[in-house]
Amino acid sequence: MKINMMHGAGGAVFGELLGETLTKYKNNNAGGIGLESLDDGAVIPIDGKNIVLTTDSHVVRPLFFPGGDIGRIAVCGTANDLAMMGGKPLALTCSMIIEEGFDIEILERIVQSMDSALEEAGASIVTGDTKVLAKGEIDGIAINTAGIGIAEKPVRDSALKPGDIIIVSGTLGDHGLAIMTSREGFDFGEQIRSDVAPVWNLVNAAMQAGEVHAMKDPTRGGFSNAINEMAEKSGVQVRISEESLPIRRSVRSASELLGINPLDVANEGKVVMGVAPEDAEAILAAIKKDKYGKDAAIVGRVVEGKSVIMETGIGGERFIEPPVGDPVPRVC
Amino acid sequence: MQKCGIIVVKGIVQGVGFRPFVYSLAEKYNISGSVQNLGSEVRVVACGDNFDSFLSEIGKGTPLSKIDSVDVLDYSGAAVSGFYIDKSSSGTLSGFIPADVSICDDCIDDIRDKNGRYFSYWATSCVNCGPRYSIILDVPYDRERTTMDEFPLCAGCRKEYEDPLSRRHHAQTIACRNCGPGLFLYDRSGNPVECTDPLEKAAEFLDAGHIMAIRGIGGFHIACTESSASCLKERLGRTEQALAIMAGRMSFIDSVAYVSDEEREILRGPEHPVVVLVKRERDSLCEVSNLDTIGIMLPYSGLHHLLFDNLKAPFLIMTSANSPGNPMITEYETALLKLRSSVDYFLTHNRVIKNRCDDSVVRDGYIIRMSRGYAPKRTSADLGGRCILAVGPELNSNITVYKGGFCYTSPHVGNVRNPSTLDYLKETVHKMTAITGAEYDIIAHDMHPQFLSTRYAKELSDISGAQLIPVQHHRAHIAAVCTKPCVGIAIDGVGLGDDGTVWGGEVFAGCVPELERVGHLETVDMPGGDLATRFPERMLYGILPDDLTAGILAGRGMSELELNVLDRQVKAGINVAKTSSTGRVLDAASALLGICREKTYDGEPAMKLEASASAGTPAKWEREFKTESGCRVFQTSSLLRRARAEYLSGTDVSDIAASFQYNLAAGIAEIAVESAGILGYDKVAVSGGVAYNKMIRETVINIIRSHDLIPVLNRDFPLGDGCISYGQAVYAGKMKG
Ligand SMILES: [Fe+3]
Ligand SMILES: [Mg+2]
Ligand SMILES: [Zn+2]
Ligand SMILES: [Zn+2]
Repeated sequence: MKINMMHGAGGAVFGELLGETLTKYKNNNAGGIGLESLDDGAVIPIDGKNIVLTTDSHVVRPLFFPGGDIGRIAVCGTANDLAMMGGKPLALTCSMIIEEGFDIEILERIVQSMDSALEEAGASIVTGDTKVLAKGEIDGIAINTAGIGIAEKPVRDSALKPGDIIIVSGTLGDHGLAIMTSREGFDFGEQIRSDVAPVWNLVNAAMQAGEVHAMKDPTRGGFSNAINEMAEKSGVQVRISEESLPIRRSVRSASELLGINPLDVANEGKVVMGVAPEDAEAILAAIKKDKYGKDAAIVGRVVEGKSVIMETGIGGERFIEPPVGDPVPRVC
Repeated sequence: MQKCGIIVVKGIVQGVGFRPFVYSLAEKYNISGSVQNLGSEVRVVACGDNFDSFLSEIGKGTPLSKIDSVDVLDYSGAAVSGFYIDKSSSGTLSGFIPADVSICDDCIDDIRDKNGRYFSYWATSCVNCGPRYSIILDVPYDRERTTMDEFPLCAGCRKEYEDPLSRRHHAQTIACRNCGPGLFLYDRSGNPVECTDPLEKAAEFLDAGHIMAIRGIGGFHIACTESSASCLKERLGRTEQALAIMAGRMSFIDSVAYVSDEEREILRGPEHPVVVLVKRERDSLCEVSNLDTIGIMLPYSGLHHLLFDNLKAPFLIMTSANSPGNPMITEYETALLKLRSSVDYFLTHNRVIKNRCDDSVVRDGYIIRMSRGYAPKRTSADLGGRCILAVGPELNSNITVYKGGFCYTSPHVGNVRNPSTLDYLKETVHKMTAITGAEYDIIAHDMHPQFLSTRYAKELSDISGAQLIPVQHHRAHIAAVCTKPCVGIAIDGVGLGDDGTVWGGEVFAGCVPELERVGHLETVDMPGGDLATRFPERMLYGILPDDLTAGILAGRGMSELELNVLDRQVKAGINVAKTSSTGRVLDAASALLGICREKTYDGEPAMKLEASASAGTPAKWEREFKTESGCRVFQTSSLLRRARAEYLSGTDVSDIAASFQYNLAAGIAEIAVESAGILGYDKVAVSGGVAYNKMIRETVINIIRSHDLIPVLNRDFPLGDGCISYGQAVYAGKMKG
């Protein structure tokens, strides 16, 4: 079998590739949390400290879009994965693969943008690598970053407990629809901006305010994918209240016009967390004080059972399912 | 010259009065011995001079029994005197349980007999009628394993139950006013309504225009008279969808609709389904149905008959009580909770409905919804020694179990796309597994990875180790119709195809399970995926994405922003599925002609197109074909373009609708006929929900016949997706193990 585009879409098809090929290492754990957990990053205990390590490659098109650019994503993607493990981002590597003929001015803008994101995240790029490929061997530029952080108390995505409250740190679907809109030239009347942002400060505030049991950033596959992974790995059922989900009006109307579920598309500056019920209000208040957490909301709760169920306004229920990649119509 | 033997009768012999039948025959032919029910078979020990006559009469069975085989074994036991009925014991379970049966004429006489024990009693039944599947807890079917167990027989009932010559001898549902389940009337807050006769009072409320939830055989209905129809639709939020009615008398049905002899028989048959009939006056009863047809049934239980005896109105609207997409409500407590804002009163009873069963629906002799009366359905099938579970598709689903030469198909489960319907699917699997005693080697399911039924199949196979066999939706359609070499036409909504596109207008050739796709409708854009099913104008633009179409849509009120986004979406191919569905092309035509802009219930755009076409005259249009990857492809875009030209030049909308349907049907039939000619097949199987459309079906059949080929349609299973689980089982069973 050959790789197809569905394999890269982050849904169930990617899940199969991941399980059957990409994680078949016998050497997969350096003590602590390793590849077997398929969490946002790894944790390596050294001398009583928890070092968090993660890596991510970025190939977004267009390179610059409303609300961000490839450089900002390259920093935030990795810094946020560290934060999702409860780790404060310290240092990142940066490796760029660039196509012959790429404009150096554009490269300068990307580096600038990376630097300002590092500033916000409180981290630095401390080493790197650059390769140039002949024209046509790569489309423009790809950026890989790896990062280390340090976690006082590592947080996993698999530790939801019945009774927990589910909080999202802001509106859902912004990044995915912003990219689609600017790439394909849609005009929805109102501009949709990507949410790409570093979330460590917000996560840190939440962890100071109360007990955070599990965290995940809803990137590829969106909220649907993240919450399903959390529920499945934790062996619990999550019940989401449809009315409480924060979705920007512009994102909602764009997704209605395209037939795309805003819960299925990527976010780049959001956190989904399961918190102890008694701390939920305090944590929510702490998140809301952060620049990137103003629209945070309690969206659901954890109960015993399995799967993720959406409670709709009219007393109905439906499943929130992980997207398969490209949507396949199902109505007969 | 006395003769002895053990007569073994196999088939549906439980709950159909078989033992009393044998008993009375023994009496008639002076036979001594005994009769015993073993679950799947009845064993008769018989000795007497008239053994042969006795044997041949047994072979005829009772009205509700289905006899597969009658065998005679040697009897070497001691001679017996007299004839007696042994208590049931369970055996192998190939016999299965009959479906619920409408009240018989004898029992109707009983409830109207002022001097009889059953006068005015709502739950009157006998061995020939009454509930079966809806009340059974386990097999064999005996009173202690039904929900009637809570109602111990009074002396009068016991006497009839034990009297071998009575029509209620061993009638497991026997009950009377003294000992059986009662009726109760409550207001919307759940307070009892003071009255001497709940039925009389209920009829009074209904005649006064109140809306009432009525608990029947397999679940709750919501009922009202014609004057409250629009109010009911408003409260249910289903303003467009046609509702079914129950008419007190056949004469009323004749006065509003055309009824053929076949339809009359179906209306009055043991199943008593809703029959979709063509109205005499297109605009009559339009508050009930805005189509050219209306679904009508006759009263099918004592409760309904007694209600109509008290009612002044000639008919009631009777729609199953459920929120859209959820299973019908069966319990009073749930009804009270969920329906208090939709109904004014509740007429309920205290007999537990163990297994939900919706009303069945039939049109032109074809089953649309296979449920009460028709299912559980047992079908003889030669699918080998492995045991199969087929979990069905997503919409209009049911399940099928195959075991030892028979398929057992459950009643209608519904649209398996939310937690409550998934639970109902699981419950149905458990129930059907228990009553058939199946242990599965194979689980067949749809190819769509996201269907809840597919996921459930995987879960089951993880636990049991059963082999999973995915079956392409439209091959299942054909497998449900014909297992001989044939060409198969599947004209349908949508189902995932082999190539990842969405199929639904397919021509296959071969023999199950080797069905090769040899032709199909043109693969067109479906902008927004499922969104294009909900808004058929998107389908129209997906097929004809140009300024002319944009002009038509703008004229109907589609905003410039929306049109621009739609245009961009089609051009960029963002979330645009590809489909060869017949249903979606009909939707597009319905949108083009301004007949339907938004689908509010399943099949609405195509049904309204058909209603419009019924008043039109079809014309023959030129049909274009091409060959693509070895398949004959019928160019539906050119058909739609022609329809648009006719529309813009002012041709009558009904005539365009008729022509469109006619030419669409003719095009796909021509592909099939051509393939049959090339391959030398003589049969053309036809399946899929679009085949309910009379003009399309008849056009296809006529073209097949005119080429001296044999059209094959299945009248025992739905043409739509109610045949899929059966087709999946057949397909999987025919695969080499
Ligand atoms: Fe179908
Ligand atoms: Mg991540
Ligand atoms: Zn009867
Ligand atoms: Zn009684």
